[in-house]
Amino acid sequence: MKDLKHLYYFENLLTEANNELVRQAKAEGGIAVGYTCFHMPEVLLNLDRCFSVRLRAPRTGSMEMATYYMSNSTCEYARALLERGLEGGYRFLDAMAGVDVCECMNRSMENMELLDVADPDKKGFFWCNLDSPCHDNEDAVAHVVEQVTRKVLKPLHENYGVDISDAAIRKAVDEHNEICRLITQIGEYRKLDNPTITGYEFHILTLATYVCPKYLIVDKLRQTLEELKTREPDSKKRFRAKVVLVGSEIDDPELISLIEDSGALVVADRFCYGSIPGRQEIRLTDGEDALTQVVRDYLHATLCVRHVEPHKIQKRLDTAAQLCQDFHADGIIYEQIKFCTYWSYERALASHIMADEYHIPTLSIDRPYMSRTSGQLRTRVQAFVESLEIKKIRAAKAQKEEASHGV
Amino acid sequence: MKYFGGCDVGSTYTKCVILDEKGTMVSDVTIRSKINAEKSSAEALRMACEKLPEVKTPEKLAYLIGTGYGRNKVPSADENISEISCHAMGVHVTDPTVKAIIDIGGQDVKGIAIDTDGTVKNFAMNDKCAAGTGRFYEAMANAFELSLPEFSQLSLTAKNVIPITAQCTVFAESEVITLVGEGKPMDEIAAGIQMAVAKRCFVMAKKAGATDRVTLTGGCAKNAGLKKAIEQVLKLKVVELKTDPQLMGALGAAEYARQKGLEKE
Repeated sequence: MKDLKHLYYFENLLTEANNELVRQAKAEGGIAVGYTCFHMPEVLLNLDRCFSVRLRAPRTGSMEMATYYMSNSTCEYARALLERGLEGGYRFLDAMAGVDVCECMNRSMENMELLDVADPDKKGFFWCNLDSPCHDNEDAVAHVVEQVTRKVLKPLHENYGVDISDAAIRKAVDEHNEICRLITQIGEYRKLDNPTITGYEFHILTLATYVCPKYLIVDKLRQTLEELKTREPDSKKRFRAKVVLVGSEIDDPELISLIEDSGALVVADRFCYGSIPGRQEIRLTDGEDALTQVVRDYLHATLCVRHVEPHKIQKRLDTAAQLCQDFHADGIIYEQIKFCTYWSYERALASHIMADEYHIPTLSIDRPYMSRTSGQLRTRVQAFVESLEIKKIRAAKAQKEEASHGV
Repeated sequence: MKYFGGCDVGSTYTKCVILDEKGTMVSDVTIRSKINAEKSSAEALRMACEKLPEVKTPEKLAYLIGTGYGRNKVPSADENISEISCHAMGVHVTDPTVKAIIDIGGQDVKGIAIDTDGTVKNFAMNDKCAAGTGRFYEAMANAFELSLPEFSQLSLTAKNVIPITAQCTVFAESEVITLVGEGKPMDEIAAGIQMAVAKRCFVMAKKAGATDRVTLTGGCAKNAGLKKAIEQVLKLKVVELKTDPQLMGALGAAEYARQKGLEKE
């Protein structure tokens, strides 16, 4: 396929947290609010002059300093963020909106705060740690509304004069929804028999929407969608199998690249920093305040594994199976970042359930934060692709034989 | 007669097998891998082909498949297949009754369950760590100032087993040195190392669902002390292969090459 016109541009935006669009937005008077997790409603960090930056630590090397503070048996994502913070990579931020969702991220945030990774000259800077419930009922909604109001919206208003009114929230939702519509429409091209966008390309676009001010990338996303409408696929399929990728945090496009280089096209992204969930529109009505509706939407949409109520567990399994069907995938890859407590349970169970009860071929992998050099991972994925391919060949043969017997 | 090649470029050894149309192994070579995977495979292929006057050069092979960590570096290969699939096929053509493999290579340990047609049913693999691999054995044998066969024999003479707690190659080496310094019997320490690796293999075998008719492949399959320890932990008799177990990856690749080459016609 011909390269997407803006792919290189988007790739460059992902090479550092303080990318050129972040710098541009700040120069225009924007307020950069860092966050790390879906449980912090992203749209509420995009009110008025604010823009959200979901934190990453691209080009991470050694994590020795963070390991000193957090020990080596903690999530590498949380450690990589602390390392980057200690290196001074987040000093551009004007606030940090953390959430109390897992021990590793708590420790990462706590250490960042204690070790003064923020710029001391930013007098309005504030840290917060939102308490996020493990339920999605109305008590949980009320709890998050109170937390967000007190710990995020109020400081933004008091420290920076940000408009946090209902109208401002509705405007932010409209802008957020436009990005979601574009990403969803772009993602639809992954459902084609011979998709005209790769998993790697899609991940690059999706990631860019998490780490850049929305208003500065929306035009290029629109152009990319237009380009896809006429993009010709390769005449010969480059991939031997299609897979849904399900799991924990992935902000490293190299992982998708590694999977695709091993023969498996990633057609659906059901992971943190992916589009499912995260890039679905938020529907607001006029009968209730926007803040409550936004919070409820996030709590209902989440597929986070820290929600262990039976209906949520079932929803996660059903969603994975449904994605396989909708995106015509041959199998699922369940992945987790090393030392992620929640996903270590989910992956172990779900990978068996999907194979044994849903009869969907499943590969289960754990991976480091940066996986580009992992030969073992490459071998595992390739072996999985080969087994999927053989299953397809066998099924086709059986069908042929059946047809000939019928004749 | 047409000939088909499989080249398994491992991290420590490169193996090459050539089959004829009937699937008979007509040539095989095992050499120490160089830092450059392309050079290793080129040399192994050249040596294997030279043994066959009808072939002489790798270009004359009807179909060639690369496998192992350097599988995409094999010159003139028609395609590459993962070593997991190749080991399964190699064992299957050697002994179709085998249902599972523990493959201990230079840098990884794998458990592989085989389907009735030689394809992979399930597999498990260690992570980016040398614990329980060929590299681990090399480090241990070095610490004992023994060759690998001598180390294996030494462990078989032990009447007791001294447990080794560290699995990390670096820490296990220092643990061994400490035990030797304390005057503990060398053979019992060696048996402890074998048991530590066998337990690691146990995990991979169980993860892959290997319960019956298990065999060992890879260079470490020749380690009699390890085989004994694995039989102990898995509580079953390891199936002996009639062909060199270190060649299974290359043999599987050659068999796939034979099937694909004949199908192409």
